Amino acid sequence: MNLMTNILLNVIIAFLIGSLLFGLQRKIMARIQGRPGPPIIQHLLHTLKFFIKESAFPYTAAMPFYIAITAMLSMIWVAAVIVGPVTGGSLLLIFGIYAVHKIVEHNAGSSSGSPYGKLSCVRAVYSAAAEVPLFAVLVIIYFKTGTMNITSLINYQAVHGPLLYAIPLAALMFFILILSKAPYSPFAITKGKDIVSGYETEHFGLLRGYLMMSESIAWYMLLWVFLTVFLGPISIPVYLIGMVVMSSIIAFINATTPLLNPNHSIMMQVTFAFVGIVGSFALLMI
Amino acid sequence: MDITILGSQIIGIIPLGDIVFYFTQFNLFMFATALAFTAIIAISKTETQVEAEFGKLGDRAVTVAKKEFKIRRFLAIICGLATAGAMITGDLFDFTLFVCLTGIVNIGIVGAVRQVDVLDAAYQYGLIAMMASLPLFGGAALILAATGTISLLAINTLAYTTPMMILGSILLFIGVAGETGVAPFFATKAEMFRTPGSPFLLIIHLSSLLILVRLIEILLIINKPF
Repeated sequence: MNLMTNILLNVIIAFLIGSLLFGLQRKIMARIQGRPGPPIIQHLLHTLKFFIKESAFPYTAAMPFYIAITAMLSMIWVAAVIVGPVTGGSLLLIFGIYAVHKIVEHNAGSSSGSPYGKLSCVRAVYSAAAEVPLFAVLVIIYFKTGTMNITSLINYQAVHGPLLYAIPLAALMFFILILSKAPYSPFAITKGKDIVSGYETEHFGLLRGYLMMSESIAWYMLLWVFLTVFLGPISIPVYLIGMVVMSSIIAFINATTPLLNPNHSIMMQVTFAFVGIVGSFALLMI
Repeated sequence: MDITILGSQIIGIIPLGDIVFYFTQFNLFMFATALAFTAIIAISKTETQVEAEFGKLGDRAVTVAKKEFKIRRFLAIICGLATAGAMITGDLFDFTLFVCLTGIVNIGIVGAVRQVDVLDAAYQYGLIAMMASLPLFGGAALILAATGTISLLAINTLAYTTPMMILGSILLFIGVAGETGVAPFFATKAEMFRTPGSPFLLIIHLSSLLILVRLIEILLIINKPF
């Protein structure tokens, strides 16, 4: 297949599946809480709706930074799709993309001048202190396998079996990271409803559409990285089942837990990261 | 070019005497990201923060004064370029110098703000950054003493890790954590971010996280798998 077609196809798949998984999460959460909930396709329709809505820009915003930051979020997650499913490139690069995602999350909030966005921005700085160490557990994979290349990692697992069994604590830490990025998660402090929609509060129309599209792709990519890195060579149906199962488990957790206070959220994530890193190294040494 | 770093093929190197820049997919992306953000910052205005007045019903607009804007933008651009340099350098000592430079200009970016709380946070960050320069350069020196080189391409070819290299790596990590103000020093930084000037605050956050990610690559090059 032509490379450009491959990229386009994978980005569209990531967007559609990511959006539907978000819809599924909301549906499951609603049923657990005794509500009928929106249809599964709602998140996708919601995203598409923003692309045809009129765009408005706050007069207090830092231009053109306010617009560029949204474009940057879309570009980095398209880059993640290219690095991951399309080329099977460097896992370290996906780590870098995640770090840039945290930066964009931070500045999408502060660039509008809104106090809600600003609070989200400050919380994004706090949460980066916890989420980056959680993502850093992927370095454990290097100490186990000797490579950070995704294709090589798949080949390694084809010979030695899934890394999920070899380094379970690292897998758990990565799962906590994915949980942190889910809407309504106990760790989703940057988009807590106490600050309206956090860093998205002052983004309307097309810009909001791009933000939501990027989040859907990001969700798909985080699940894809987890399944690829910890389960190894699996078929497309197993990928789909894995993504649905993980999204359902996360929906159950989100439906039954409150949003944590920012300080508690960070301390809990840092504790998980500490246990994960130290525990995984201990398991590798014995 | 048949050199592999952490499973990624090197795309190219730029030898400038004993300073060597190298590019893999990872380094190229990080370098391009740092430059792209620097370019956006260079052409952006700052936002106006709208804050509620205490004890009244009115709002208050907090803006960045022109004089303050100019100096902060200049320092932000320097910070962006230093971060970009740290992403592609193949020399451990150069990396520590770039990190040190970002630490200095980060303090300057917030030090130009005329708000007592922000200046207080910048002062505390400055103290940490100064103290962190000892383990930063000490770590690099220990790695040089243990391997005989500060070239990451040369260290990449070594098949062993000695206890001295591990100690050097730990010191390097502490040094970078202090210079960039990442956890456990982020609480101070979050206070600095309450001030207006979103594009300039971005570069502080960007430099910290990108340098931290690059540091992880460097530590993985120095410390071999089990």
